[in-house]
Amino acid sequence: MKHLEKLLAELAVQKLQNQTRRHFLMDCVSKVGVLAMAPLLFGCEPEHLIKKSTGLNLSERDLNPLAPLPPPFVGKAKSIIYLHMAGAPSQLELFDYKPELARYHDKDCPESLLEGRKFAFIRGVPKMLGPQAQFAQHGQSGAWVSDYLPHFAKVTDEVAFLKAVHTDQFNHGPAQLFMQTGSPRLGRPSLGSWVTYGLGTENQNLPGFVVLTSGGKTPDAGKSVWGSGFLPSVYQGVQCRSKGDPVLYLEDPTGMSRDLKKNVISAINQVNQEDFETFGDPEILARINQYEMAYRMQIEVPEVMNINDEPEHIHELYGTKPGEESFANNCLLARKLVEKGVRVVQLYDWGWDTHGTDHDGSIDKGLRNKCREIDRPMSALLLDLKQRGLLEETLVVWGGEFGRTPMQENREGKVQSFMGRDHHVDAFTMWMAGGGVKKGASYGITDDFGFSGVDERVSVHDLHATILQLMGFNHEKFTYDFQGRPFRLTDVHGELIHAVLA
Amino acid sequence: MLEFLGPLLGRMHPLLVHLPIGILVFGIVLCFFPQREKNSFLPAIRLAFLLGGIAAFGAGISGFLQYQFEGFAWEDIQIHLFGGVFTALGSFGLFFHFRKKETIQSKSKVFALGLGLILAVTGHLGGSLTHGENYFTEVLPKEFQSFLGIEIEPEKGPQLAEESWEEAVFYSEVIQPILNQNCKSCHNPKNKKGELDLTTIKGLMTGGEDGVILTAGDAQHSELFARLILPKGDKKHMPPSEKRQPSKAEIALIESWIKAGGKADQTLAEAGISRNLVEPFIQKTEIPFYPIIQLPVFPTDSLAQLKRLGFFAELIESGSGLLKVTCINLPEFQDSDWEKLAPVKNRIAYLDLSGTKVSDAILDSLKGFSTLTVLKLNETVISGNSLEKLSQLPNLKLLYLNKTGVNLAQIQQLASNQSLEKVFIFDTPASAEFLNSGKLSLPFLLETGNYQLPKLPTDTIVY
Repeated sequence: MKHLEKLLAELAVQKLQNQTRRHFLMDCVSKVGVLAMAPLLFGCEPEHLIKKSTGLNLSERDLNPLAPLPPPFVGKAKSIIYLHMAGAPSQLELFDYKPELARYHDKDCPESLLEGRKFAFIRGVPKMLGPQAQFAQHGQSGAWVSDYLPHFAKVTDEVAFLKAVHTDQFNHGPAQLFMQTGSPRLGRPSLGSWVTYGLGTENQNLPGFVVLTSGGKTPDAGKSVWGSGFLPSVYQGVQCRSKGDPVLYLEDPTGMSRDLKKNVISAINQVNQEDFETFGDPEILARINQYEMAYRMQIEVPEVMNINDEPEHIHELYGTKPGEESFANNCLLARKLVEKGVRVVQLYDWGWDTHGTDHDGSIDKGLRNKCREIDRPMSALLLDLKQRGLLEETLVVWGGEFGRTPMQENREGKVQSFMGRDHHVDAFTMWMAGGGVKKGASYGITDDFGFSGVDERVSVHDLHATILQLMGFNHEKFTYDFQGRPFRLTDVHGELIHAVLA
Repeated sequence: MLEFLGPLLGRMHPLLVHLPIGILVFGIVLCFFPQREKNSFLPAIRLAFLLGGIAAFGAGISGFLQYQFEGFAWEDIQIHLFGGVFTALGSFGLFFHFRKKETIQSKSKVFALGLGLILAVTGHLGGSLTHGENYFTEVLPKEFQSFLGIEIEPEKGPQLAEESWEEAVFYSEVIQPILNQNCKSCHNPKNKKGELDLTTIKGLMTGGEDGVILTAGDAQHSELFARLILPKGDKKHMPPSEKRQPSKAEIALIESWIKAGGKADQTLAEAGISRNLVEPFIQKTEIPFYPIIQLPVFPTDSLAQLKRLGFFAELIESGSGLLKVTCINLPEFQDSDWEKLAPVKNRIAYLDLSGTKVSDAILDSLKGFSTLTVLKLNETVISGNSLEKLSQLPNLKLLYLNKTGVNLAQIQQLASNQSLEKVFIFDTPASAEFLNSGKLSLPFLLETGNYQLPKLPTDTIVY
C-alpha cells in the first residue's frame, strides 16, 4: 500500500512537471480568449508551436515530421546522393589538367603565389609539384580525366564538372561543415536536413536521410556534418553501419518474438495516447508515430540494407563484396535506398588527405590506391542509376571539402620523402550528375598552375543554391525561423550556376 | 492670343485651392470658438462661408481647366471633382443657413463639421493626384508599410528574349534595369543621394557631387563600376553593404557596357556581348515537364483520403492540381485496386506501381489517365500483351518497364504515342532482343541498360 501511495505521489509530481511554462501561458491565453494575440505575446516562439499548443491547424506534419510536402516548384530531382571524399582529393591528379605545372616541377614556387597567404602546413617557399597522373580527354564532351580514374573516364558524358570551386576554410573540420551546412561553425542544419525538412520522405518505413561511411573513419567534423542544427532533430541524417546490423538494436533480441514487441509498442503508445488526451501536446502524437515507424523499420531496413541478394552482374559492376565496409558497398546501398524512396543518401569516404607524409598519403602511390577504391563503384553507380531510369530524378554530387596545392608540401620547412600536396581553398574540382544537370558540361577555368580560378568560379553557397534549385526550392525563399530571424542554407549568398543546369 | 490663359489658370489650381481651405477652416473653427458675447462671431462666420464659397468656386473653375489641359484621366479625378463641387455648394449652403439664424445651434455645428470632412477628403484626393498616392506612406518604416498592406513592387532585373536577345538595347534593356534594381532606391530624382540620379541616362552621364562617374571605355576608372568591386567593408563600396548587392553577372555587364563605350543606343550584338554574359537574364521558354492544364488545387482532404488508403500521394508542386502517386508502401496493390485511383485519374501526373501485384490488366485501366506523364511498372508480372493501350496516353513521357516480361515487338507498338520520350527496359526480354537486333528506329529513346565496366589490368595493381 505504501508503495502505491509513493507511486501516486510520483505521478502527481510528474503531472505537475509536465505542466510547463508553455502550457501554463498557453492556457492563460486561450482562456482569456485572446487567441489572436498569441503570436504577438509569444514572439520568440516559432509560430507552429503556438498552433500546436492551442490545438489549431494541426497539420499532417505536426503528427509525422517526415510526412511528404510538395516542393515549391517542380524539382528536376527528387533524391540526392552526395559522395563526399573526406580529406579532400587532389584535383591536379584527377580532373584539372595543368601541363604547364609539369614544366615548373621541383622549381621554387613564385613569390606572387605566396604573398599574403596562409597554408595549413606549407612554410617558407615550397617547390612546385607537377601533376603525377597521365591525362587524356574522354567522351563526346572531351572532359579531361586522368589515368587514376580509368572507369570514370567512360562515364564523363553523364557528368557536369565544376572546375573552379572555392571555399574559405583550409582545415578539414570547418571546411567539411561549410561544405555540408553552409557555415564553418557548428549549429547549422546540413544540406540533407534542409532537403528532408522541405520535402519529407516518400517511404514511410525508412529514414528520409541516410548516411553511410567508409574508409575506416568518420569525417573530421564529426556527426555535425549530417546534423540537423536548429531544425527539429528528426531531420538529421541517420547513420547506418556499413557492416553488421545497419541500425543497432533494430533486430528483436533473442527470445523476444515480433508479436511481443508489437504488444510492447502498443502499450507504450496507449500510455502516450492517454497523455496526449490529458495535455493535448501534439509532440506526443509525433512520438507515437516515431514508435510505429521504428517498428516498421525493423522489417524494411535490414531488407534494403542487404546487398547479398543482388545479382552477380551487379556485384561485378560495382566491385562489391558483401560483408565488408567499403565505398563500393555503400554506392550499391545508395542506389537501393534511393530506389526505395529515401530522400538523401550521404556517403563519406575517408582517406583523401594526401600530404605526402607517408606511403598511403602520397599522391603518386597512396592516392592511386584510394582512387581505385572509388573509381569502379562511383562509375557503376552512375551507370546503374542510368539503366534503371533513376538518374532522371536523382542528383549525384561528388567532391571533397577543398582542393590541394600545386606545391609540394614542406611540413615544418623540411623536405618530405613522399610527394604530397597541402590543403588548398582557391580552386578545386567537383562534379554533379543526374536530374536536371547538363550532361557533359564543364564550368570553371583555373590558371596555368591550377592555383586560382580565373573565370567561372563557384562558391560553396553557389553550389548549395544550385542543388536546392534542382530539388525544387528557391534558395532565397527556403527559410526556417530561428532565434528571431529566418535562416537560409545559403545565408545571404549564393548564385545559381546556370551553366550546369540542363 | 489669349489661349495661354486656360492652361495658366489651370496650373494655378494647386495654389488657388488653399484659399477656400484656409477661409472655410477659419469659418468652421469660429463655429466652435468660445465667444464672450453670445453669437458675436456670427457675422464673421457668415462672411467666411460666403468668401469660402466664392473661393471654392474659383478654385473649382481652375481645377476643371487643369483637368482639361493637363491630361488627367477622368477616372482619377472624378471623386476629387465632385468633392470640389460639393465643397462650393456646401459653403454657399452654410452661408444661407447662417444668414437666417440668430444663434449657433448644435445642428449648425454638425453641418459645419460635415463641410470640413468633405473639404479634407477633397483636399487629400487632390494631394494624391499631384504628389502620388504613396506620398505619406513611402516615408514610413518598411515594416509599418507592410503592416498597412502596401506591397512594394520589387524592381525586375533585365529580361531578355531567347530568340532576340542580341537585338536588345544594351543600356535601356540591360543596364537601366540593373540600376533600377540595385541603385534606384537611393539615386532617383526624389531622393538624390550624393546628388546622383541613376534613373535616366542623362542623370548617369551628369554624375554626382564628385563629378562624372563614367569614363567611356575605361571601367576601372569609372566610379559606376569601380565602386561595385571595392571590398564590402570599404566605405566607398556601393551599394551599401546592408543593401541588396548586385550579382556577379550584373557587375560583369556593367563593366562590359562601360568598356563598349557606355552608349545609350547600342544593342548587345553591337557591343559584342557573348551569350554566356547575359545567360542568367534570358527568359527561358522552357516547356514544363508536366502538362499545362488549368486545374483547381487538389483538395487536401482528398489527398488525405489517398494517404489513408496507403498511397504515397503529393502534389507535384505547391498549389498544383496534379498529383504524384506511388505504391512505395503498398506492395499489395493489384489490378482491381485501380478503382481507388479512378476518382483522381485525370489528376495523376506521376504514377509508380513498381513492385506491386499488378498485371497486364492494369494497362487497360490506365488508358483513361489523361495527365499521366511518368509511369513506372518496374518489377511487376506485366508481360506486355496489351502494352499498345498505353500509346493512347496523350501526355506520357517516361515509361519504366524494368524487370518485366515485355518483348521488343510490344515496345514497337508504342511508336504511335507522340509524347513518349524514353522507355526503360533494363532486365527484360526486350532489352536482350534489342541488343541482338541491332539498330531499330523508334521515335523515343530506349534505355536497355546492361552496362558493364570491363576489367582493367589496373584494377588489381596495388601501388
